Amino acid sequence: MKLKKRIIQYEAERVVGFADEIRNVPGCEELRSCIQCGTCSGVCPLSTYMDYSPRQIIGMVQSGFKDKALRSHTIWLCASCYSCAVECPRKIRITDIMYELKQRAIQERIYPRRFPIPILAQEFNKMAQTHGRVTENVLAAIMFLKSTWWTAFGMWRLGLGLMRRGRFPLHLESIKRKDELNRMLKTLDKVTIDMLHDERGKGEPARGGGR
Amino acid sequence: MDNRDSQEIRIGFYICHCGSNIAAMVDCPAVAKAIGKLAGVVLTRDYKYMCSDPGQELIRKDIAEFKLNRVVVASCSPLLHEKTFRGAVEAGGLNPFYFHMVNIREHDAWVHTDKAEATEKACALSRAAIRRVAKHKALEVKRVSVHPDVLVVGGGIAGIHAAMTIANAGRKVYLVEREPSIGGHMAKFDKTFPTLDCAACILTPKMSEAGSHPNITLMTYSEVAKMDGYVGNYTVTIKRKPRYIKEDVCTGCQECIANCVYKEPKFRDEFNEGLGKRKPVYIPFPQATPQVVAIDSRTCLNFKGGVLTDMCKKSCVAACGEKQAIDFTQQEILQEVKVGAIIIATGFQPFDAARIPQYGYGRYPNVYTALEIERLVNASGPTSGHVIMRDGTEPKSIGIIHCVGSRDQKTNRWCSKVCCMYSLKLAHLLKEHTGAEIYNFYIDMRTPGKGYEEFYDKLLEEGVHFIRGRVGEVTDWAASPEEEGKLVVRVEDTLAGYVRRIPFDMVVLATGLEPKSDAQDVRRLFNMSCGSEGFFLERHPKLAPVSTFSDGIYIAGCCQGPRDIPDTVAQAGAAAAEVLVLVDKGYIEQEPNTAFILDEECCGCKSCIPLCPYTAITFDATRKKAVINEALCKGCGTCVAACPSGSIVQNLFEDDEIFSEIEGVLAHD
Repeated sequence: MKLKKRIIQYEAERVVGFADEIRNVPGCEELRSCIQCGTCSGVCPLSTYMDYSPRQIIGMVQSGFKDKALRSHTIWLCASCYSCAVECPRKIRITDIMYELKQRAIQERIYPRRFPIPILAQEFNKMAQTHGRVTENVLAAIMFLKSTWWTAFGMWRLGLGLMRRGRFPLHLESIKRKDELNRMLKTLDKVTIDMLHDERGKGEPARGGGR
Repeated sequence: MDNRDSQEIRIGFYICHCGSNIAAMVDCPAVAKAIGKLAGVVLTRDYKYMCSDPGQELIRKDIAEFKLNRVVVASCSPLLHEKTFRGAVEAGGLNPFYFHMVNIREHDAWVHTDKAEATEKACALSRAAIRRVAKHKALEVKRVSVHPDVLVVGGGIAGIHAAMTIANAGRKVYLVEREPSIGGHMAKFDKTFPTLDCAACILTPKMSEAGSHPNITLMTYSEVAKMDGYVGNYTVTIKRKPRYIKEDVCTGCQECIANCVYKEPKFRDEFNEGLGKRKPVYIPFPQATPQVVAIDSRTCLNFKGGVLTDMCKKSCVAACGEKQAIDFTQQEILQEVKVGAIIIATGFQPFDAARIPQYGYGRYPNVYTALEIERLVNASGPTSGHVIMRDGTEPKSIGIIHCVGSRDQKTNRWCSKVCCMYSLKLAHLLKEHTGAEIYNFYIDMRTPGKGYEEFYDKLLEEGVHFIRGRVGEVTDWAASPEEEGKLVVRVEDTLAGYVRRIPFDMVVLATGLEPKSDAQDVRRLFNMSCGSEGFFLERHPKLAPVSTFSDGIYIAGCCQGPRDIPDTVAQAGAAAAEVLVLVDKGYIEQEPNTAFILDEECCGCKSCIPLCPYTAITFDATRKKAVINEALCKGCGTCVAACPSGSIVQNLFEDDEIFSEIEGVLAHD
């Protein structure tokens, strides 16, 4: 039998400074204080489906195993119920860290292939930006087509029911003055994290920044 | 001895390098050179360690050789070495108060990053001291006598041990306890880790010895209401709550309890953590000291809402018979005692497990706190030592959750230190009593201590399961048939790396230790300080662990921070030793920085009297002048600043001393 999975992680796979990079994002400052107690995994309603528990993801980020963390299904399964953030004895905002990891995974395009959730997230964003509205059935259709399209056939009964009730519009919904929305979004894009940091720096010292 | 006017001022200035502590940031030779140019300075030296024997010897020799009559040392904080250098000056034949110390370490070298500026600051501070010391007068240290009696507040193991130690040394002790019996939390425990000694077996001999000791005056069911005075001479007012029993008459026969009109115990039994019931007339536990019953006026039929009504037929009084120990007319009395020193041993309170709702305490009947389990496994407990749950069954599987209300930033941040060990002990006892499968859920096992790690090994051998992971929630929602009707613990086994759901019959919460809810009141009562957690603050965490910032007041036991019984007893012994040092010496030397009144200038306006925080100022009605009691004066200077006619002067802080110091700081060379 050929062993497929190796458990050892080599130093070369570490991205030194990745933990600090994440820690500098607003909301993720408390990352360093994790004591690996596992409360997050204990309360997470989805931890049973995850490839790595939330605690392990925090551990990976802390040690700088960026690729392993970004490739995990865990960050995409997080339903942002915030149970972990509420229960964490170190007040780590784990959900915010998950969001940051998701963003990075999309930016670097290293999320798991044919996995519906990252595709849904991107398509949702794209549709909202271009039309100002999201048409759910079209979004669902795109998600299925780009990921596991064959599973859509299993849902024919649901689709039929929705159509009968008039819940299956075939045209894309849209807002009226899309140019104004575009202007707003463009302005938002110019706001960088660094600008947010500067803004915070003026008022009170950034949390955890002085360590 | 005042030779200020008769002699010329000859000042010796010494600057200490303190290894590299000062020298790394302050150019010591340059400071010495600059100060040497000042008027009155006949000698300057810089030296590596002024506090060392050769350093002190230097001062002694120079005083003789250069006929110095003032000495200034620029070094560390006066808190650390003022006494040392005053001693050296005295050994050289000078009055020790012709010395002044400059703090150029904590106030300068340690807090600056620019060497030139730090050096300049050291010069300024030293210049101020040179100008000031020229104005110093010779002063004498005064002695104040110390009252030989001692007060111990809190009758737990710490208070009992401290009181016994002092009493055995032949001193009189007042032991004040709030509850009807001494014993504290330790009396509630079943066994003690790691030796599994029965807690009652080792505590009750001490309790009864303390109760019958000729040198100990036991004041149970009492609280300290007020404290006045100062180190060596405290006047403490103790509120003695009415227990409606004459303590000296009651023999502890408990006939009254048997004959109470309530045939069955009906009210919450505090000693058994509410797991059992008691009558309105009760004795907390069989070995209670003193063996005197108490009547709870909130539940007794003869009272209504605490007010005497004489509604009951008083079968207890009839049962007591000839002795007539029951007295329903007892009132709260205030008793005053005079003591020289006080030990505070008011203990802790367990964390309220209901504050963490996801663990279900108070919601699921079979979730228990550790202290409840102590009573449940105890032979004198509500179930006579049988582990029977609130629903009447015996548990087959038990989960013990560690760190409930410890190491948690949402509740208490600190590690409560004892929970790991007492959880191991309870795991052992529960296994012994029930044979159940037992799981411990821990974040980190902390078992430092003599024989503690070996005890952990023993539990591993016994087949108790240990899972590293903080429990997410305890729920009665069943996800599978084997979970029906059980309490399910959802936890990540962080070492194996997967999430588990484990069904249990019983869940035990290892609650942490926290300061008593009235710790702030006690703190104010005795002029102590609290740390950020609310535990009483020791004077120094390492070198003065039982002293407080109030002289003559010492702390012992869990009121200072979570600790186990061996540490508590050791600390109580240490506090007793400190008290004996004070009391046996018989006097204390008082810093002569007290204030005094210039009689001819005092106009008798009385504005200083209400301002004095130590009630040291009184009014002499015949002469119409204020009078300061030197023994009470702490030298805070409040009256000096407030006196409208400027007729109050404080030794070591006279106006010309302070003004020359200010001039010195501001002067430019």
